[in-house]
Amino acid sequence: MANLKLEHIEKIYDGNVKAVHDFNLDVKDGELIVLVGPSGCGKSTTLRMVAGLEDISNGHLILDGRDITQVPAKDRDMAMVFQNYALYGHMTIYENMAFSLTLRGEDPNVIHKKVLAAADILNLTTQLNKKPNQLSGGQRQRVAMGRTIVRTPKVFLFDEPLSNLDAKLRGSTRREILLLHKRLNATMLYVTHDQTEALTLADRIVCMSMGHVQQVGTPLELYDHPANVFVASFIGLPPMNLFDVTVKGDHLEGKGFKVPLNEVQQKTLKAYVGKEIILGVRPENLVEGTDIPVKVTSNENLGMNTLVHGHIFDGNTKFDRITCKLRGWCNYKAGDIAKVSINRMHFFDKETTNSIKEEDK
Amino acid sequence: MKKETDPQIAVDRMRYIKNKFSANMALLTILFNVFYFVNIYKSDVSNYYYNILIGGSIVFNLLYLLAAFLCSEEVKQYHEKYCWFLLVLGLIQFVRIFIIPTQAHNAYVVIANVERQVMYDSQYFRCVIYLVISGVCAVLGALKGVKLSRTLKAYEATLGEEKRRD
Repeated sequence: MANLKLEHIEKIYDGNVKAVHDFNLDVKDGELIVLVGPSGCGKSTTLRMVAGLEDISNGHLILDGRDITQVPAKDRDMAMVFQNYALYGHMTIYENMAFSLTLRGEDPNVIHKKVLAAADILNLTTQLNKKPNQLSGGQRQRVAMGRTIVRTPKVFLFDEPLSNLDAKLRGSTRREILLLHKRLNATMLYVTHDQTEALTLADRIVCMSMGHVQQVGTPLELYDHPANVFVASFIGLPPMNLFDVTVKGDHLEGKGFKVPLNEVQQKTLKAYVGKEIILGVRPENLVEGTDIPVKVTSNENLGMNTLVHGHIFDGNTKFDRITCKLRGWCNYKAGDIAKVSINRMHFFDKETTNSIKEEDK
Repeated sequence: MKKETDPQIAVDRMRYIKNKFSANMALLTILFNVFYFVNIYKSDVSNYYYNILIGGSIVFNLLYLLAAFLCSEEVKQYHEKYCWFLLVLGLIQFVRIFIIPTQAHNAYVVIANVERQVMYDSQYFRCVIYLVISGVCAVLGALKGVKLSRTLKAYEATLGEEKRRD
């Protein structure tokens, strides 16, 4: 088990292209950190730098107090699980799992014990004599994980391990990774672009965009207190609705709607009276009510909830798009007018896009 | 390095690790049989080999190679039956020494009123060495295979039904 520290890590490619900017993170022993962000945000590059597969341009990587920035990948005592499994097709599952230990020249009987123990953890005992092409995608990914477990590394690295799996398998394998983490209590760094994975797996999430860390926090912190507009719109499904509004003292005025502010909210926005801000409202924080008229364009019934998509509508003009996640089964048709109210708001500074203090409780 | 000495584990490993020794021995049998095969028909004299038997000999060699290859694949899986088959193939190599190489070595033909040996000593000894090595490899692989197959079978008999199916 290990403490991992990333200090001012940067990645600069040839031609002065900066892929990762001043990345700082302190991963505690046994913690599962998820790096999340859209494609090209630098999360995989960061993971590969930690693994030693990419050179670190600036900064220091500290593992258990030892600077391993210049240490080759094979000597870092980290194991990585890749998206495409990276299994040897001509070897059996047993041989695949034993391979790295065999290369290290470990005693075959010790290897045997470790492989059987890992197979037992991952429920692969009955598959050991099979070849990878005889297994399902989820089983193959478990083998890839087994290959890392047998090495008992200090840090486990996962690079989008579930991306190749279908939705159902992704769910079950995700739960297995979570159980594995609890069982091994290992330090893990996990990269994904899927916010559901991030929210369900992480002890802490690192949300990234364009090579910059946008926010580091627990899943609840990122969901409830997003640091800026990017995090607010990236975390949460469907994404948060964002509107340009003007603060008018006791209410907000947007294009085609007005919403009242309570005392706490008024206090929060005191410095912004008369100015424009960004109002963020999660679709699940909209309920059927009276404040905002919505001209419906589509209605998606999900069973417990209904997603209503439309535009804010003042009777004549259609304004911003809006998505509402309403409770129960609704039967709006395109062209219908639905009226909704907001039961929770997030405020963002329009210039900096940073969150304005706390939203109402 | 931590050394694990429990013999039980070594046997249990056999459930997942193939019998590479016997399989490789079978492949060496094939290799040295090929050396022998390439050597055998080199002749500086007359047409001693050019009769109906040369066809039979070639076909026999091809079948021998196929059989040895089949054995190498099967002994890998600890199939005792094929270990015995490999043993027979090994013994055949020793018998073969007394057929073509020895017969040709002992045979003489008359060319331009001069009696000449069909197979000179050097070629004869080469052929014999190749056949002996080929045979020894097969026998060693077979005997080790039989031993391991029986050990594994006995071990599996002590396991529960579910474990045996792993």
